[in-house]
Amino acid sequence: MHLERKREKFSKMEKYTLIITEKPDAAKRIAKALDYEEKPEEVKEDGVPYFLAHRDRKLVVVPALGHLYTVVHERGRRNYYPVFNFKWAPRYSAERRAKQTRTWIEVFSRLASNADNFIAACDYDLEGSLIGYCLLKYACDNKENIAKIMKFSTLTKNELEKAYEEPLPHLDFALIEAGRTRHEVDWLYGVNLSRALTLAANRWSGRYATLSTGRVQGPTLKFLVEREKEIQSFVPTPYWTITAEVEIKGSTYEVEYETKTFEKKADADAVMEACRGKIGDVETIEVKKLRQMPPIPFDLGKLQTEAYSLFRYTPRRTSNIAQRLYLEALISYPRTSSQKLPPTIDYRAILKELSKKTIYKNLASDLLGKDELKPVEGKKEDPAHPAIYPTGNLPERELSEPEKRVWDLVVRRFMAVFGEPAIKQSIRACIVVNGHRFYLRGRRVLKEGWTRFYKPYIRAEEVLLPDIKEEEKVSMKQIMREDKFTKPPPRFNPSSLLQKMEEEGIGTKATRADIIETLYSRGYVAEERIVVTDLGFDIADVLGRYCPRVTSVKFTRELEEKMEKIQTNNEDRVNVLVEAVDQLKPVLQELKEREQTIGQVLSQAVKRARVQERTIGNCPHCKTGKLMILYSRKTRKRFIGCTNYFKGICTTSFPLPQKGTAKPAQKNCQACEWPLVFVRLKGRRPWMLCFNPNCPLKEGRRKRDEMQSLREEN
Amino acid sequence: MKCKVCEKKTENKYCELHEKAYRNIVREYDIWKKTSDVSWNQYLSELVKNPYTGVWAKEVAESLISEIV
Repeated sequence: MHLERKREKFSKMEKYTLIITEKPDAAKRIAKALDYEEKPEEVKEDGVPYFLAHRDRKLVVVPALGHLYTVVHERGRRNYYPVFNFKWAPRYSAERRAKQTRTWIEVFSRLASNADNFIAACDYDLEGSLIGYCLLKYACDNKENIAKIMKFSTLTKNELEKAYEEPLPHLDFALIEAGRTRHEVDWLYGVNLSRALTLAANRWSGRYATLSTGRVQGPTLKFLVEREKEIQSFVPTPYWTITAEVEIKGSTYEVEYETKTFEKKADADAVMEACRGKIGDVETIEVKKLRQMPPIPFDLGKLQTEAYSLFRYTPRRTSNIAQRLYLEALISYPRTSSQKLPPTIDYRAILKELSKKTIYKNLASDLLGKDELKPVEGKKEDPAHPAIYPTGNLPERELSEPEKRVWDLVVRRFMAVFGEPAIKQSIRACIVVNGHRFYLRGRRVLKEGWTRFYKPYIRAEEVLLPDIKEEEKVSMKQIMREDKFTKPPPRFNPSSLLQKMEEEGIGTKATRADIIETLYSRGYVAEERIVVTDLGFDIADVLGRYCPRVTSVKFTRELEEKMEKIQTNNEDRVNVLVEAVDQLKPVLQELKEREQTIGQVLSQAVKRARVQERTIGNCPHCKTGKLMILYSRKTRKRFIGCTNYFKGICTTSFPLPQKGTAKPAQKNCQACEWPLVFVRLKGRRPWMLCFNPNCPLKEGRRKRDEMQSLREEN
Repeated sequence: MKCKVCEKKTENKYCELHEKAYRNIVREYDIWKKTSDVSWNQYLSELVKNPYTGVWAKEVAESLISEIV
């Protein structure tokens, strides 16, 4: 009844244009930009916001919540595989956590019933095109063929108005096909392989644990496992270096020996012996001028890498911050792989707007004074969007510190690409001491060029040398031998892993950061400098042994390339799907045949991971047992106990807070060195708990409390 | 057969991962001998102490030391 009444209400309204956007923030901004008075009316239907705007006609701007439709198993139970029959369905029918999408879709359908014109104003990329297509096809009753597109790269008023006035005549069906295929192929791989692993473990142990892998997740885990193997089996070898200091005009300077490393200690000692306390001559002085070209504009990957190296933000965090800045119309669309800035974005207009902010005033004015603005650009192109650039809009609210940093980084990078090359001078003086050559190196900046714009983010320092001449005498003040060892290869961090995925051509700019987060959330990897857990090793081992093709980077890349070709109409969606199924069938057959063996390996790995998750550290009393988070059989209360209790050796136990979650912090107390527990309680800031009752920190606190109460009594 | 270090089932003395570490230990000994002229025992003890030695390599080195003792 309720729904009927609402439909009636809408049918009485005049016909309008329905503009579909991807998110509520984007809808608000689009409605504001298109409304003649910039004051659209916000309406809420069953908690779903949409906006009524007036322009040449009435406009209803309605947001989605990202994807409202997803790929689901067409029919059948959840606990078997292989499954190859799928369909697109509302997310609420497949995901328990997506209940709200039902009302969202209902509101879309109601609004669509009275619209006579449809415009998709979602992000112009794979995901955005697919979101718009699904809504138009399923929620708006097959309107995908009559809908137009508003294509824009920034949410600024000018660009949105232009996109509305000059819409693209129809949806980009090639892009949609590519997006659909990617989702469908990922579903086929993800569902089948994850079910195979999960069911194998469940059937063997009788206990449920979600184990997942996917088309890109598998090869990514493989990179990490291979690096971990190199690190864990690494054997260092010794080598020696020589460092020395010379005195020139009363000051001391570090010099380096001509041979960087010595394989034999005796050789290094011989050089030391020959040079110690001796006087040397400046044999030659080489001066070189270096031109350092400006950096290229940011694509998403480059922005993520730079933000990690400067601020330690994970790729996903940077991507989320950039998305927020885009929705506030401060920067252009961030999910781009372009490294080019076309003149159509109007460089001068952007710089003029930026110059209104005091910190950019002088820098922007310098650039505006140039006759011609020509950016340095990278090779990569993206047909949908240019590289990331500031729109010129200034923040309407106080940005958070991370938002400020990322925005500033984008602004300064934008200005830097228009800068002149920086000119640097490098000087190398060769000093000969008793027949041995040492190099004294210096560098200084002759012309700042682009570095002036990017200054806070440049780390190279100048090394100024004294005024020296050839044949000048120099005394060796100190010479030392350093004993060194070769080091294992560095661990991946989220940023370098993202770069590796990019280099290898697996995943997309929109999905790579999420895949890395999934590896963390599944417990396959841990820590910022990524360490593969035992569970991660076992998953990679099973996949590598029984279905090596699934973790093959080459195979994954080939599939990626085919999916990209769909985008340009050079490949057919059905062919790619058929090929994916043909590849999967034998893999799943193999997994099924070996289900028992795989189940045993994975069950044991899960069991070990669960024990590890609860192990806090060594028992400080018996020294041989491990302290673990345990539950009392009688009271079901949680406490810390020693594993030697079951052997009748140790009765050590400590209480724990009963509410919230408690897990090992993997850190020790600064005061007593006991392991810490990380406690998280709803409504409170998480804290590190030291359970040592005699911890000096607690003693100090107790004394302070006593003093306080004494003072209060007096 | 079980791996001497981790007791995982294997057909050799060590499991696949510890075998890789063992092969590295044997290979790198030549370099150590050339550069520092250390004995096999000294070499293994150095590896156990060295912070850059991988965990599996350390475990194999410890196991080899205990075999000698």
